[in-house]
Amino acid sequence: MGKVKIKKKSTFIDMTAMSDVTVLLLTFFMLTSTFLQKEPTIVYTPSSVSEEKVPMNNLVTVLVSSADKSGKLDDATVTEGKLFISFTGDADSTLSSEKIRGMMLDEAVSIYNEQHKNNKIALTEAQKNQFRTTNMIGVPFAELPAVLSMSITERDKFLGDIANPKVGIPIDGNKNRDGRLNDFQVWLKAIYNVAQRINNEQAEGLSAEERSQLSNLYTALMRKGQGIAIKADKDTPFTTVQLVFDNLQTMKLNKFSLMTALKSENEPTQ
Amino acid sequence: MAQIEESAGGKKKKGAQKKMTIRVDFTPMVDMNMLLITFFMLCTTMIKSQTLQIVLPTNEDVKKEQQSQAKQSEAITLILDTEYNGNKPAVDAETGKTVHNIYYYEGIADTTFTTPNFLRKEQFIGNMNHQAQGIRKILLSKNKQVMEEYAKLKDQWKNKEITKEEFDQLAKKNASDSLKTRPVVVIKPGPNTTYEGLINAIDEMNINQISRYSIELPNHTDTLLLRRYEQTSGEKVIHPLVRANAVAAAAPAAEASTSNQ
Repeated sequence: MGKVKIKKKSTFIDMTAMSDVTVLLLTFFMLTSTFLQKEPTIVYTPSSVSEEKVPMNNLVTVLVSSADKSGKLDDATVTEGKLFISFTGDADSTLSSEKIRGMMLDEAVSIYNEQHKNNKIALTEAQKNQFRTTNMIGVPFAELPAVLSMSITERDKFLGDIANPKVGIPIDGNKNRDGRLNDFQVWLKAIYNVAQRINNEQAEGLSAEERSQLSNLYTALMRKGQGIAIKADKDTPFTTVQLVFDNLQTMKLNKFSLMTALKSENEPTQ
Repeated sequence: MAQIEESAGGKKKKGAQKKMTIRVDFTPMVDMNMLLITFFMLCTTMIKSQTLQIVLPTNEDVKKEQQSQAKQSEAITLILDTEYNGNKPAVDAETGKTVHNIYYYEGIADTTFTTPNFLRKEQFIGNMNHQAQGIRKILLSKNKQVMEEYAKLKDQWKNKEITKEEFDQLAKKNASDSLKTRPVVVIKPGPNTTYEGLINAIDEMNINQISRYSIELPNHTDTLLLRRYEQTSGEKVIHPLVRANAVAAAAPAAEASTSNQ
C-alpha cells in the first residue's frame, strides 16, 4: 500500500484586506463622531418637525431632570425639575468651552457674593480649573467649592444621585422673599452680563479674533435665541418647565430654544 | 507575527537570488481596529437634536393699552391636558403615545356658561389617511388662506423654481401676511400637561404656519368652562391634581400676553 501523503496546508489567512476595511471604517467613525457629553441624568426629549439643528458651538444648555423612572424611589417626583447647566464654547477658535466656563463662573460667583454678603463663596484656582473641564454641573452655589474639590469619579457619582437635595440648581419661585435672585437666575444673569459686556467690547485683554467669537456668542444668545437651549423630558410636567421659562423671562432672556428629536410627518395629499 | 518563507523550489541554480515571500500576520491589527471601532461607535452621537425656537413676551407688567388685541373672529384658545394613569402619563395602547387632550373654543370665552358644546375636545392626531386630523384639521381650516399660499410655495420649491432659502423667506412672509385672515392662538397648558403636550402644540403652530400664538396659564374662566364641559358631556376632564406641589410652586406665573410675532 502506498502511503497517501497529506499535503501540509498552511492555515495562514491573509488579513490584509480585512485590516484595510477596518481602518477605513475607523477613519469614518473618527471623522464623523461628536462625542457624547456626560450628563448626570438621561432625558428623552419630545419630537417635533422642526428641522433646525442644535448649534455645535456657543450654546448654553439647561437640562431639566424628569421624575425617576427606575421605580427605585418611593416618591418619583423628588428627582423632578432638578436643573443642570452646561456651557459650550467654540471648539475651533481660541474661545474654547474652558474659557467661556471660566468667564461665566467668575461672573456668576461675583454676582452671588454681591447678593449674599454674609456667606460668600471663594474658589481656589484649582477648583476653577475643575469647573472649566466639567461639562455639566448643577449644584447650589453654596455647595460649589465642596463639589469642585471632589475627584471626577466622586463628582459624577454625587451629581448622578439626583434624589439628593444638594443636587440641582435651586430655582425656588421667581424671586426670593428678600428680593435676592435665586441661583438659577444668578447663572442667567451671568450669561446675560457676559454677553452684554462682550457686545460693548469691554472685554479687555482679548485678541480681535476672540472678540469676534464673543460677539457671535452674543448674537446667538440675544438676537436669535439659539444660544440657550432647554432640554427636558417629554413626561416632565409643564408646570416644572414653566418655572424655567418664567425665570428666563424675568432675566430678560425671552428668546430661547427647546431641544427636540426629529419627527417625520407624512404629507397630506389634498 | 511576520514570517519569511523561503520559496521551496526544486533545484537551485547557483548564484540565483533566493526568492523570499514576506507575510505579515494582520490578525492582531484587525483585532485592535475592531476594538477601536467599537469604542467610537459606542461613544458617538449620530443623530443631532433639533431645536424649536420660542419667543416669550416679557413678564413685566404690560399696560392694558399696550397689549395687542386680537379680533374675536380670529381668536382660538386651546386648553391642553394630559391624561394620567396613576402617577404616570397615560399611554395609548394602540399607538404607544401619551394621550394629550385639547379642549378648544373660538372667540371670547362664554362667561354665561350656557352655550351648548362651547368647549370641544380634540387630540393631536396629525395626518391620517393623507388628511389632516384632530386639532390640525381645525387649525388648518382657520388658517386656510395662508396654507393655500404655502402649498403653492412648496410646489414651487419642489419643482426647483425657487431655492430653499427663498422658500423659507417667502413662507415666513406668507405666514405673517396681515392681508390674510390668520388665527390668533392662545395655548393654555393645564396643570397636568406634560412638556410633550406643549411641544406638540407649538409643533402644530409650525405645521399650520400660524405666526401669532401665545402661551398662557389657564385662568379661572377656563377651569369653569372645563367643569361645564364635564357636566354636559359626562366625561371626567379635570383629573385630581397629580402634582399639586409643582402647581403651587409655579402659580405666580406670567399673565402678560402679547401676540407672538
